[in-house]
Amino acid sequence: MRAFDYVRATDTREAVRLLAEDPAASCLAGGTTQLDLMKDGVLEPPRLIDITRLPLHGIERRGAALHVGALATMEELAADATVAARLPMVRESLLRGASVQLRNMATIGGNLLQRTRCRYFRDPTVPECNKRTPGSGCAAAQGAARMHAVLGASERCIALHASDLAVALVALDAVVHIQGPAEARTVPLTEFYLTADESPQRENVLEHAELITAVEIPLPSAAARSGYLKVRDRASYEFALASAAVLLVLEDGMIRQARVGLGGVGTKPWRAYESEHVLTGASATTATFREAADAALRDAWTVPGTAFKVPLARRTLVRELQTVSEVTA
Amino acid sequence: MSTVESRRRPLVGAGVNRVDGPRKVTGTAPYPMDFSVPGQAYGALVQSTIAAGRIVRMHTEAAERAPGVIGVLTHENAPRVGTGPVTVLGASPPAPLRNDRIVHHGQHIAFVVAETPEQAGAAARLVRADYEATEPLLDLQDPRAEHLVDPWGMDTSRGDTAAAMASAEVTLRATYTTADNTHNPLGLFATLAAWEGDTLTVHDTSQWPSMVRTSLAMAFGIPESSVRVLVPYVGGGFGAGLRAWPHVILTAMAARVLRRPVKLVLTRPQMFTSVGHRPSGVQWLRVGATRDGELLVLNHRSLISLSMEDNDYEPFASATAFAYRCPNVITQDRQARINIAVPTSMRAPAEAQGNFALESALDELAYTLGMDPVELRLRNHTDVDPRNGLPWSGKALLECYEVGARRFGWSRRNPRPRSMRDGNWLVGYGMASALFPYFAQPCAAQATVRGDGSALVRSAATDIGTGTYTVMAQLAAEELGLPLDMVRFDLGDSDMPNSMMAGGSGLTGALGNAVHDACRRLVRSFTELAWASPESPLRGVPPDDVQCTGGTIHPVGRPDLGESYVEILARHELSELTANGKSSPPVPEELGMSLAGAYGAKFVEVRVDADLGLLRVARVVSVIDGGRILNEKTARSQIIGGTVGGIGMTLFEDTVTDPHTGRIANATFGDYLVAVNADVPELDVVFVGEPDRGTATGTKGVGEVGLVGIAPAIANAVYHATGKRIRQLPITLDALL
Repeated sequence: MRAFDYVRATDTREAVRLLAEDPAASCLAGGTTQLDLMKDGVLEPPRLIDITRLPLHGIERRGAALHVGALATMEELAADATVAARLPMVRESLLRGASVQLRNMATIGGNLLQRTRCRYFRDPTVPECNKRTPGSGCAAAQGAARMHAVLGASERCIALHASDLAVALVALDAVVHIQGPAEARTVPLTEFYLTADESPQRENVLEHAELITAVEIPLPSAAARSGYLKVRDRASYEFALASAAVLLVLEDGMIRQARVGLGGVGTKPWRAYESEHVLTGASATTATFREAADAALRDAWTVPGTAFKVPLARRTLVRELQTVSEVTA
Repeated sequence: MSTVESRRRPLVGAGVNRVDGPRKVTGTAPYPMDFSVPGQAYGALVQSTIAAGRIVRMHTEAAERAPGVIGVLTHENAPRVGTGPVTVLGASPPAPLRNDRIVHHGQHIAFVVAETPEQAGAAARLVRADYEATEPLLDLQDPRAEHLVDPWGMDTSRGDTAAAMASAEVTLRATYTTADNTHNPLGLFATLAAWEGDTLTVHDTSQWPSMVRTSLAMAFGIPESSVRVLVPYVGGGFGAGLRAWPHVILTAMAARVLRRPVKLVLTRPQMFTSVGHRPSGVQWLRVGATRDGELLVLNHRSLISLSMEDNDYEPFASATAFAYRCPNVITQDRQARINIAVPTSMRAPAEAQGNFALESALDELAYTLGMDPVELRLRNHTDVDPRNGLPWSGKALLECYEVGARRFGWSRRNPRPRSMRDGNWLVGYGMASALFPYFAQPCAAQATVRGDGSALVRSAATDIGTGTYTVMAQLAAEELGLPLDMVRFDLGDSDMPNSMMAGGSGLTGALGNAVHDACRRLVRSFTELAWASPESPLRGVPPDDVQCTGGTIHPVGRPDLGESYVEILARHELSELTANGKSSPPVPEELGMSLAGAYGAKFVEVRVDADLGLLRVARVVSVIDGGRILNEKTARSQIIGGTVGGIGMTLFEDTVTDPHTGRIANATFGDYLVAVNADVPELDVVFVGEPDRGTATGTKGVGEVGLVGIAPAIANAVYHATGKRIRQLPITLDALL
């Protein structure tokens, strides 16, 4: 690891100012991505600004939404009473992610900004990586791909966004609160991420010197049922090969409202609007669910190693729609 | 019942706690990376980023100028060193940095030494190489690859397989493939080398300190007595510590050139390229049988991956020659040289792979015949070694089947595939036989009883987590008639009497016999002293007619007529008495028996969510004939650990090589999956059988047999659950979609 300066920010404005001063500086929160990438030589920021002491830790109910400070840990959010009662999908996505040790360190803001696990990106001795070196190519698309993305992917980049939580949050229309040097702004999480086929090197709309301060999660109606299904080889502590976040409001066997997020398949946390379109207003049957799943994966782009993810993601979504709706016929 | 059995005393066999347990759980057990010496510097490896070709030029200037850097070794400035010995595992690894040739991605091409590990690591990233790359051979089945034919002289041919195949009522052919696996002990391998003149002291992660000593002596052209290798604790080995790897030589080389002690700790990714791995392979099975399940032909051929340089002992097919009674057998092993890092023995080498193919094929045969898989194995059981006609020295495999089937509830199995279900989960039962062949090397030990009656027993062995410290102390305490807390067994120092490797399930037996011998000789020395003393109650008692109890030597059955070690030493004005013992592998022809090794039967229940491809292991019953079990607790831990490794190998473990560059594409614990707790169900372990008749202590060694058989038992259970025959490891979920 290369030597670097370390600065501890004490309030949010100071953190933003410190960031603005140095275009190469990075933030340090839980460190579960940042420090890994520095040890691997992928990121070599000359300056790290420790934001862990900023007053961004709280989780509180504000009206019909849950306001989650960017520095709340994954474990804290999973243990929150409102999350347990009203956002089972969020809780499940958190508890199926990482390990308890990592969840105690990793923050919610950091989780949204986590970098891909693509081992071609994470090994700086690999020259071809459009994410690290724009225009250099994508060794993963030609190489040993398995855990990579099939939605928002192309020969330019197949890096997976591996967050579970973000999949649930895009399905719930969460909103990201951002503090910049001049002003604060909010961005819907569904508009926060960019896909890799658009811009492999740029993963989201956050500008340098902008800081995520909070995530606002609208609480679904009391009639909604939801769940998160994560499919992987290992029973624990593995990134999703496919996952589905599903929220349904059912009335007399009809689907009044549907929200679908897909994980393990997208270069960003994937909101499956096409599935929602099929589901909304349709009767809750397995045939409908299959049609919805087909619609979500219609534009999949695969390489030999990732081809299995298309049927897997379809089946994962169908299974979770069945589970949430309690309809298996 | 053997004579060993009749002499059994309560101390041996009991599940006493590990004597090193308190040090381990309190963090005071020093592992190789924990050692430091004054003035030490730190090394970092630079590895090749191509898999084949040559280095045109090394660029080390930036690294040499980097903060804290003391020196950079490359093939351009490194001293030439000698190659180590030829051992039972084959020739030693080629010397590091000896030329410009690149044969695999991740080959060590430079060694940077700096004042701190961070400085060494940062400077290592600054070293650049210009290469002249050639196209690497990366596919095991690339027709251009050079093949080594019968590399160990173990190919078998008996009977007339062609004629028997033609006449067989039932035949079967199938191809099985297994992946590269990486040992991944938790403890990163470390080496600390310090020279004083021409004397070298090394702390190293090794399963075989005396071999590392010899290798270092040969590398630097110094006497073996000038080299000392210390390994009191090892953070897991699984075979990765069986060789004196290039990084060990490099560390000592750098320490000599730079006149500073140097410490190197491998990174996790470097553990994938620097200390071996289980080689991938393809196996072709042809089986012929009668309609009622009598095996007529076993034809087992393999092709195994190997690096361009160096060698690996891995005879996949060899055990098929003696696993079952079968008159016509061919086994053939071939190795293909490709541009990968060198493979090496990994827990249950060869058997892990060969047994997967054979036991899967037998399951396929059982379905073809409509016969119960256990019944098929019973029908082809052999109590003699088919290679030489000699009876086995101990083989309770029939008892393994019987006890295992009963404990598992095998009779509840509906043999029809997809016949058992629990909600979304298809349920499958599978079983397999397991064996691990007998292996031993010469071993020595030394036993001393001190003036206070306490004993120190020593040998240059290692305890890689298996319980060597504990079981050898138990054995010595038994032989010397001392309570366990009066006996210390020490190991892990090449200055101690020579020990064999901690490998091949051989150490407990071979070292146990040496400890047994040393203790018997020591008791005899005491008895002879006493015998000659007019004052001793043992005067005139023949040395063969004594036994030891509570620190006293006495005539058999007469503890009242004894004399203690303390009294004998005091009378002769001795502060201590020492004896040396040794053991050698028994010779079957002299014994009139073939040495059996360990046997087992594995019964597994799996759950498969066929829609999502999820495979979970729900139950495992392992019934093991490990001969005489010295410590129920540590032996059980060995079987549990082997089973967990077997689950990992079967479901997850796959060292993935990039098909174009030869770079290992998953060299981290986030990407290379091993079994975690959630993947491991309750494991039922039972030991059966008798002390082995072939050796004095009657042990067989249980380090490997716990892993063997897990893969085919799972694969067979998957077939039973789903009707899908998976002939490829690992069985990841895409194989089941």
